[in-house]
Amino acid sequence: MNSVKEYKCPNCNAPLEFNPPTQNWKCDYCAAEFKLEEIDTVHNEEASEQDMQELDSYKCGSCGAELIADATTSATFCLYCKSPTIIKTRFSGRFKPKSVIPFRLVSDEAKEIYREWISKKLFTPKEFKQKEEIDKVTGIYAPFWLFDCRADGMISGEATRVTSWRKGDYRYTNTKYYLVTRRGVAQYNRIPVDASKKLDDNFMFMAEPYHYDDLKEFSMKYMSGFMAERYDVESDEAKPTMEARAKKYMEDRLRSTVSGYSSFSIRDKNVALSKVDASYAMLPIYLLINKFKGKDHIFIINGQTGKVVGDTPISRLRQFVFAIIVFVVVWLICVFGGALIV
Amino acid sequence: MLVFLLVSIFAGSTAYASNPINVVDDLGYLSDIEIQQLQARIDAIKSAYTLDTVIVITDDTKGKDSTAYADDYYDYNDYGLDSQYSGLLLLINMDIREVAISTTGRAIDIYTNNRIGSMINNVTSLLSDGDYYAACNEFINNVITYADYGVPKGQYREERDPDLNYYNPTYLQKVARMLKLWPVYIIPLIISIAATLIISHSSKGKVTTTTRTYEKGGSFVLNQNTDQFIRENTTRTRIQSQSSGGGGRSSTHRGSSGRSHGGGRGRF
Repeated sequence: MNSVKEYKCPNCNAPLEFNPPTQNWKCDYCAAEFKLEEIDTVHNEEASEQDMQELDSYKCGSCGAELIADATTSATFCLYCKSPTIIKTRFSGRFKPKSVIPFRLVSDEAKEIYREWISKKLFTPKEFKQKEEIDKVTGIYAPFWLFDCRADGMISGEATRVTSWRKGDYRYTNTKYYLVTRRGVAQYNRIPVDASKKLDDNFMFMAEPYHYDDLKEFSMKYMSGFMAERYDVESDEAKPTMEARAKKYMEDRLRSTVSGYSSFSIRDKNVALSKVDASYAMLPIYLLINKFKGKDHIFIINGQTGKVVGDTPISRLRQFVFAIIVFVVVWLICVFGGALIV
Repeated sequence: MLVFLLVSIFAGSTAYASNPINVVDDLGYLSDIEIQQLQARIDAIKSAYTLDTVIVITDDTKGKDSTAYADDYYDYNDYGLDSQYSGLLLLINMDIREVAISTTGRAIDIYTNNRIGSMINNVTSLLSDGDYYAACNEFINNVITYADYGVPKGQYREERDPDLNYYNPTYLQKVARMLKLWPVYIIPLIISIAATLIISHSSKGKVTTTTRTYEKGGSFVLNQNTDQFIRENTTRTRIQSQSSGGGGRSSTHRGSSGRSHGGGRGRF
């Protein structure tokens, strides 16, 4: 059995790639398009439930060259013949994802989004903007743990209601104190937690949310034409991140039911989570890592919604010039505009 | 020596020789009887409140503006009843149809900007009707009313910028005045720092997930929802009287004699 998998066009045997706009598979050579079922009749081989042994090296199924891949890279391109290649062992057994959200954005759209985003960055140094890194924008299926859980929460605290009125020469202020308690339950579904050490957790969090209407049962076919990583953060390691989020959601939700008061401060709170369930999913991102003066700057686009997050270097000089310009403009408005009013 | 000092202080508090003519009508708008009646009322004020009160009607201010002429007329014609030359003068300048009130000594403190403002309004509305005698009587009424009230609580003097003595400063003078105020530097500084910080920090992207994003629709149930009243308290504070505000301000400036004057003016 082959340890790598390539999806070939049933007509001309050229590599098939997933095409986001039509959500079908397209052959770049004969321009034929195939639906999921049509490919299934040709390629019915799917990821194995059993753990497959990792090999020392993998060879491209098209040209036989050795694939250059990190230990976690699960789908890639052959460096020599550019054929999309999937390393099957890395989608097997415990690494078999349960679900996937296919890409909606094509690579050209992602590049356009990057171009627009970087051009709007006021404080980014010119050298950074002019770096021609745009072709390095890569579509990656990133590993995520999707957590389901039930939350039982309680908050209690002191609320005040202040009323004030005037009588004669005195102002009266009345403060009423209340003990406010809220207890509630909620079900949280598919809270995503980044399961790759390579990808920055905070940026991955900011790239959320994904719409789960597009969530499909996992198939290796979707990986064809993209990069993919497998998880290297176990679900138990990711769980505390999810728990902190779910507890915060519950607390804020309960707090939002306290209304009609002048102030409210929580004295006691407790959120218990139960029925925690993790499932492994692949979610799409476009990633660009830009090295500038020895520091990595990450740019991520949500491959489904197009939401952009990322950081750029900040030029102190540009910040300073901007601050001066704003100061002078507002100062002129104050002086000359103010003189009109006074 | 000591005796001489005591004598001079004693003398200072009582006997200041003052100009006995308090109503000067160069243009004959008032009849002789009216002038006598006004003079009688002013004499009563002088003895009751030790405040000199002068009314001048003229159409020749010798090239000075109304305020400067009023100040100088008071200073150079021996008015003022105590060591501070306390008193006030109403100038009706027919040349440009303007009235000016100049206050001196204790009158500066009694007749604050607000009070001067309403006195000028009262006088100019009668002058607009051409009723000069009534305007003069109204002025005297106001002088007595405020002298009875005395110095308002929280009154303070404020030396006015010489530029501001002009009633209608030009646009450039206003700009010059704005340049001297600290808010025109502080406000732009705050806005520029805030704008820079906001743009720097918002550049990475925003978190758009909310507490509801991953909550299963309709799964949130509130099991307990209690608001228990514990206690209440009521406090009261005395409302500070209005006079401590800007209403207590008396703006002052210096006349050509070097004496400090207050006052104001208005057209009719």
